[in-house]
Amino acid sequence: MLILAVDSSTPVAGAAVVDEDRVIIESFTNYKKTHSETLMPTINRILRECDCTIGDIDALAVTAGPGSFTGLRIGMAAVKGISMAAKKPVVAVSTLDTLAGNIAGSNALVAALLDARKNEVYCAFYDASGIRPERLREPMACAPETFLSEARALADYEHKDKIILLGDGYYRYSDYFNTELTNRLIPIPGHLMLPRAAAAGILAAHKARQGEFADVFQLRPWYIRLSEAEYRLGKGEV
Amino acid sequence: MKDILILGIETSCDETAASIVKNGRHILSNVINSQINIHREFGGVVPEVASRKHIENIAVVVDNAFQEAGLGYNDVDAIAVTNQPGLIGALLVGVSFAKGFAWALGRPLLAVNHLHGHIYANVLEHGDISFPAVCLVVSGGHTSLLYMKDINHYKVIGETRDDAAGEAFDKVARFLGLGYPGGPAIQKAAAQGTAGKMKLPRIFLDKNDFEFSFSGLKTAAMNAWKRIEKSRELEVTDLAAEFQQALVEVLVEKSLKAAKINRVESLLMAGGVAANEHLRFLMKEKADQENIKVYYPSLALCTDNAAMIAGVAYQQYITKSYAPLELNAHPGLLSL
Ligand SMILES: [Zn+2]
Repeated sequence: MLILAVDSSTPVAGAAVVDEDRVIIESFTNYKKTHSETLMPTINRILRECDCTIGDIDALAVTAGPGSFTGLRIGMAAVKGISMAAKKPVVAVSTLDTLAGNIAGSNALVAALLDARKNEVYCAFYDASGIRPERLREPMACAPETFLSEARALADYEHKDKIILLGDGYYRYSDYFNTELTNRLIPIPGHLMLPRAAAAGILAAHKARQGEFADVFQLRPWYIRLSEAEYRLGKGEV
Repeated sequence: MKDILILGIETSCDETAASIVKNGRHILSNVINSQINIHREFGGVVPEVASRKHIENIAVVVDNAFQEAGLGYNDVDAIAVTNQPGLIGALLVGVSFAKGFAWALGRPLLAVNHLHGHIYANVLEHGDISFPAVCLVVSGGHTSLLYMKDINHYKVIGETRDDAAGEAFDKVARFLGLGYPGGPAIQKAAAQGTAGKMKLPRIFLDKNDFEFSFSGLKTAAMNAWKRIEKSRELEVTDLAAEFQQALVEVLVEKSLKAAKINRVESLLMAGGVAANEHLRFLMKEKADQENIKVYYPSLALCTDNAAMIAGVAYQQYITKSYAPLELNAHPGLLSL
């Protein structure tokens, strides 16, 4: 099963074609955030480079959040358009799951965290001892301090001595986390630190096998956060 | 010649809209999902809320446009989308969707300036407009006078120096507690009141140019309300009527002057404020005296819609002025 995966949820823009567990082609760009200009040309280019047309693709995958509100919508809108026109099903994958998908076979507590600005991170915790990350807690937006105390409590509860932090949320507060966690923290090389469209594609292939497709007419980003205006009006959760 | 079917997509503000238009003239479907009731709660359009609604609705709205026209996705020859001006986050939803849809369908993509769409709405309904013409573009974001050589060529001959007319309507309506959106709210209140019981300024600036200014009128209306609210010497409806009258008189006089000086026989109105009944009435009445013919779109095509986008893009399709996959959205106006 061929999957075209698209990620524009953070400053990284990525697209990949995966065949089940095999990565055929991947584009990863962590340079200048002009997703609206670069995303479609990138998709067009990688398909051509692997001699595919959109007709050859079996399903589309998109990172649905959390992440930059505008970035999420650029990727999701493009995928909705492609899905309708090419009549291809869509699998929505969490951006945090995608990040956690960079680690496998580790006994450490894995935390994926994205810079949510306003002194907060979007984060989720994972058991990454198997081939796919198992999410331990629902994703949330919180202060780095809250995140850290959750991480410690959860690591103790799960009897995990070591902790792995992934994502630009780590970069944003790295001094703080390094000081607080010292040698509990396992450093991770840079090519595994940010979301990879290939990882989203491989997670999506698994979801597709379970029949977990999204309804394009209903699908909306997982913002986690309300818009400022809704927040001020005292609206409930999204 | 083969019929050309164009799908238009419009998400520049708070309406998610899609439409299919044949040969730039015949509207086969015109679907609009308005968010007006959502934004009313906030007292105005909230960009992030608008963008969220667009991404939720876009697929359904586009699909409905095909169903209403009785067509399949493959039946369209091109995809047109508004890429400027407007709320950047909102525009990006339409642009990104349109790029994906056009690319996967293997059809050309056409990038449309929202204001060109508004102007073109006149042509969608009136086949007999003689050019050259003068056009008053009047909306929440713009108040401009254009000289039009034909439907595709124009130059700006005057603009507002501060608030757009629609913006003044919105701000004054909010200040008077009349609600949102301001244009219809003031029109409704004005219908119950009498203009001229008090006097607001008509700001013409230099009599000989076509520039507008509405911030002075807006401030005068607000100050008058502070006084009236206490003294109760007048009703809010009287103030609304006078405010509408003052604003409309300036629009009408400047537009007619532009038409006369440029010796055109047609005067077009475009944009959301062109839906104002008093503006339509007064413009027609005064223009009749000068033997100038006034055109404005029906109410449905005055406010934001995608039929005007699909329609105006026809010429771009014919001249093969296709947009690249790199197409971006622009909040401001690159050119009119
Ligand atoms: Zn408009």
